[in-house]
This record gives sequence, structure tokens and C-alpha cells, in this order.
Amino acid sequence: MEISGKGLQIGYGEHLVIKELDVTFLSTRITSIIGPNGSGKSTVLKAMTKLLPYKSGVVRLDGRNLADYSSKEWARSVAVLPQIHTAPPDFKVRELVGYGRLPYQKWYEKNGEEDEKIIDWAMKATGVWELREKSINQCSGGESQRVWIATVLTQQPEILFLDEPTTYLDIAHQLEMMQLVKRLNRENGIGIVMVLHDLSQALEVSDWIVVIKDGKKYDEGRPEDVITPKMMKEVYDVECEVVRIPGRATPIIAFKEISA
Amino acid sequence: MKRTGKSGVSALRMGSVVMILLIALALLSLIALTVGSAGYTIKSIAAALFSGEESTIRTIVVNLRLPRLILAILIGMSLSTAGAILQSVMRNPLADPGTIGVSAGAGTAATTILLLFPHMTNAVPLFAFAGAALACLLIYTMAWKGGVDPTRIILSGVAINSVLGAYNALLQMLHSDSLQGVLAFMNGSLSGRSWSHVSVFGIYAGIGLVLSLFCIKGANTLQLGDEVAKSLGVNVSVTRVLLSAVSAFLAAATVTVAGMIGFVGLVVPHISRLLVGSDYKQMLPVSMLLGAVVLLLADTIGRTIAPGMEIPVGIVMSVTGGPFFLYMLRKRGKVSGN
Repeated sequence: MEISGKGLQIGYGEHLVIKELDVTFLSTRITSIIGPNGSGKSTVLKAMTKLLPYKSGVVRLDGRNLADYSSKEWARSVAVLPQIHTAPPDFKVRELVGYGRLPYQKWYEKNGEEDEKIIDWAMKATGVWELREKSINQCSGGESQRVWIATVLTQQPEILFLDEPTTYLDIAHQLEMMQLVKRLNRENGIGIVMVLHDLSQALEVSDWIVVIKDGKKYDEGRPEDVITPKMMKEVYDVECEVVRIPGRATPIIAFKEISA
Repeated sequence: MKRTGKSGVSALRMGSVVMILLIALALLSLIALTVGSAGYTIKSIAAALFSGEESTIRTIVVNLRLPRLILAILIGMSLSTAGAILQSVMRNPLADPGTIGVSAGAGTAATTILLLFPHMTNAVPLFAFAGAALACLLIYTMAWKGGVDPTRIILSGVAINSVLGAYNALLQMLHSDSLQGVLAFMNGSLSGRSWSHVSVFGIYAGIGLVLSLFCIKGANTLQLGDEVAKSLGVNVSVTRVLLSAVSAFLAAATVTVAGMIGFVGLVVPHISRLLVGSDYKQMLPVSMLLGAVVLLLADTIGRTIAPGMEIPVGIVMSVTGGPFFLYMLRKRGKVSGN
């Protein structure tokens, strides 16, 4: 399964955020979209998840045009966790996760036995099973982020888009989130496309990286081929070295020391 | 194994809240039938009802107090339901039917008829309903821009409410000698309502309240925020418009029978949220019941507190609702469902 955008122009009102973009995401991979603030990363993600209409170009899911899908039909194959998401604080975890079944229901239907099984599965897969009777405001930041991942998992998507899934988490929960993402891809076969700011994480967890600069694709490829001192200089305007450490599979980024 | 409710609050808690409200409503109904300018004991009422003979007690209780009691209950249910639904539509705990122009629209139409076309006074309910619907439609049309966004609805509402308000004020200034009817309408009253009002309003309230039950899932989904709801395949703008329509219908229907009664739609959903949480599966039914209790209480107080005169239920609601509103604002962090 693959989702692709061709000749995409996306923007708000007159302003074009994405000026020209061809990109393909495979469900077998974890893909990270990186780029400076305002480069248009989240905009790409919104256009591909039917949250934002694009000005021109075409998005296809296995060859079929996004415009030919109803919103619900799309939501059964492609799920997205926006960066900012709120729920009434007294909603119970289990209840919230259950909303992921909406794309499968008519407006009057409620969760049946089959739905409950999938909800159970999603809560176990994300490690929030123990929290199921708690309300959202009783969950920590890391827990609530996993509850939201469980919610989008109950959509049973083939490709899952995540907008900066680690931004508000401390380092332990960031790593935990990356582990979860990796497991969802390797064990459950769900394609992951995420916007990430932390390049070390992108380097470590991704199979493929797309770099966006000024509304255009700067480069794409395997992490080690893409994340180079040259790219860092041209895209972010920072000096760094990409260093290999014996015993580690992925290199790390060492930034130039900060001087006063 | 005891299974707790899947939603915001346990089945036990929901059960007790509903039970208490039902008992309160029953007691209050009994009180409302017995008290008034002529006070009766329950015993004498029962005797008069079962004797089968015509009597003053029978006339007063059956023809005056009973229809009024039923109206108070239905209006309370309708207004609190309208408010509860709107609060999810706007994702704003301060939304009420006034926000989408129902009050200003109905008020404008009623004032115009009462002051400029007094020979058509009988048609005030009809025009008030049309006025409410038109104002609401106008606000949504102004707010529409490839979809409806709550902030734009609220801001269009503020603008249109202020224009209509100015028109009303001007009209009242120019006709300051004949404001009796206008004042009665603006302050919402159940005085002198009869079975004919019950039969007409009963149909509207029945339709609206049944429709509102179909809004529960939509209202819950809107609480998750626009992006999440959209990503789950929900057409957010269509849901907003449909829910608003049900809410406006209910609120406008109450205006035609009782004039403008404020604060029920705002305050009752809040207390309900405090009692059973923000899941509309529980919150909406509790709002209905609590709305009935609150409005019946306000009307009963209004017609008994000052011997020899009636204080319109709208005034009682505003006087008691205002302070509660302030209290709520101070506690808002805990109260808000959003």
C-alpha cells in the first residue's frame, strides 16, 4: 500500500505553503518529514489526511484519487493524530479510544462486539489497557499521548500520520513513543509518516526521510544519506558533524559548540 | 462482576442523580399544584378531583395550575437541551440560544408586531418563531466561509445581536407609552397559559426533544475538536448546522409560548456537567430533567413569593441565574467541559 502526492500545491487563502511537491509514502516504512519551522511539514500531512484541501495536484492511495473517497472511507485506511488534540478531561480512556470506530459506523450506530474487540486490542498494543477505567485528566502526558495513539489505531489504518508525536513529552516518554511507533510498523505492519523536530530520533527510527525546505522537497532518502552536514547547513543553517560511535548502528549528530 | 458505565461517570452515580431529580420534580409538582393565591391541601385537591363535580378547586387546579405546570416542565427541558447542544456546537461553555440570535430575532419580531401592528397581536408567536429562525439563519450565513467555525458564529452573533438590539431599543423609545405587551414578552412569563398552549407547544417540544436525542453522538464527537472529528470522517460543519438547527428549533418554540427566558440554557447544562460529566449520553438527559426542575421551581417562586402579583419566570431565572453565573466564572477551570 502506498500514498502519493503529485504536483501538490497547498496553502491557506492566497498564500501557498507548499509550492510544488511530489512525494510517496510506503506502508512498509517509517517515514519522517523534517524541515525548519514554517517549511510546510504539517501542511503536507494535513493535505494527505483530508484535513486541508489542496490547491492543485493529486493525492492517491494505491492509485485511487483522494477526491473519490468519502471522509469516512479515507479514515478507514489513513489515520492522523494532529499535534493539538483535546478531549473533555472527564472522558474515560476506554470511551475516547472507542471514538476511533466512528469511520466504520453510521451516525446512529454504536460500538458493537466486534468494535469492542478492536478497542481492547488497540489499548493493549499501546500499553494503556491498565488505564482503561481512568479519565483522561488522570493520565500523565505520556500516557495520554499513548491513549490518543490507541484511538487512531482503532481506525485500523494502513498508514498512520503523526504530527510531532513527541513534542510535549519528556525524554523517557519520547523514547517510549518512538519504540511504540517502531513496533506498530514492524509488528502490525502499519505505515508510519511523522513530522519530527528531533533529528537524532528521525535518524534512529526512520527508514526514509523527506526534507522540506521553503515549501519544496529539498531531498529524500535513507536517513544516513539525507542527514549530512551539508544538508544541515543548507536547510537549517547550522554547523554539525554526523558522527559514528562504535557499537551503535546509527550515527549521532554533534552540533558545533555554542560560544557566547 | 459489577460493570461500571463505560462513559464519564459510573452507572450508580447516574442512577442516583436521575432518581433524585425525578423525586424532586414529583415533589415540586405537588407543591406547584397546591400553592398559589388560593392554597389547597393535597387532600382537598384529591377530593375535588375524584368527586367528579365542578368546583372552584377543580377549575383552578385542572384548568390553571396543571397546564402551567406541564408547560414549565416542557419549557425547562427544551431550553436546557437547546443550551447543552449549543455548548458542544460552539465548543464554548458560555454559549446559549441567545448566542445564535434566537432571543434577539424573536424579540425583534415580537416588538415590531406589538408596537407597529398591534392589531396582529395574536400572530406574535408565529412571527417570533420566524424572527428567531431568520436571525439564526442570518448569523450562520454570515459565519459561513467554506464551513462554520465556532468563533465566527459567535462573532457574527455578537454583531447581529447588537444591530437587532439597537433596533428594538429605538422602537421601544419611540413607543414608550405602549410597552406593556413588549415587557411581558421580553421577560418571559407563564401567566395565564392554558391547555391550548400545552397542546401546541407539547408537539413542538416533543419533536425537538426526540430530535435532540439523535444529537448525542454528534455533540460528543464535536467535543473532541474539529481536527480530530474530521480525521475520523465526521463532516464537522454539517454536524454543527444540524445540531444548531435542533437547538434553535427548541429555543424558538419556547419563545412563542412563554416569551424570553434567559439563563436556563446556560446554567442547567453546567450543573449537569458537574453532576455527571461531559458525556452527552448522561449529560443531556440530566440536563432535561434538571431544566424541568429549575424552571418549575422558578415559576412557582415567581407566582407565590409576592402575594397579589406575579413575578415573571424570566425575571426569577435571571435574578437567580446571574449570581450563579458569577460563581461559575470564578470556578470555570473546574466547570468547563472543554
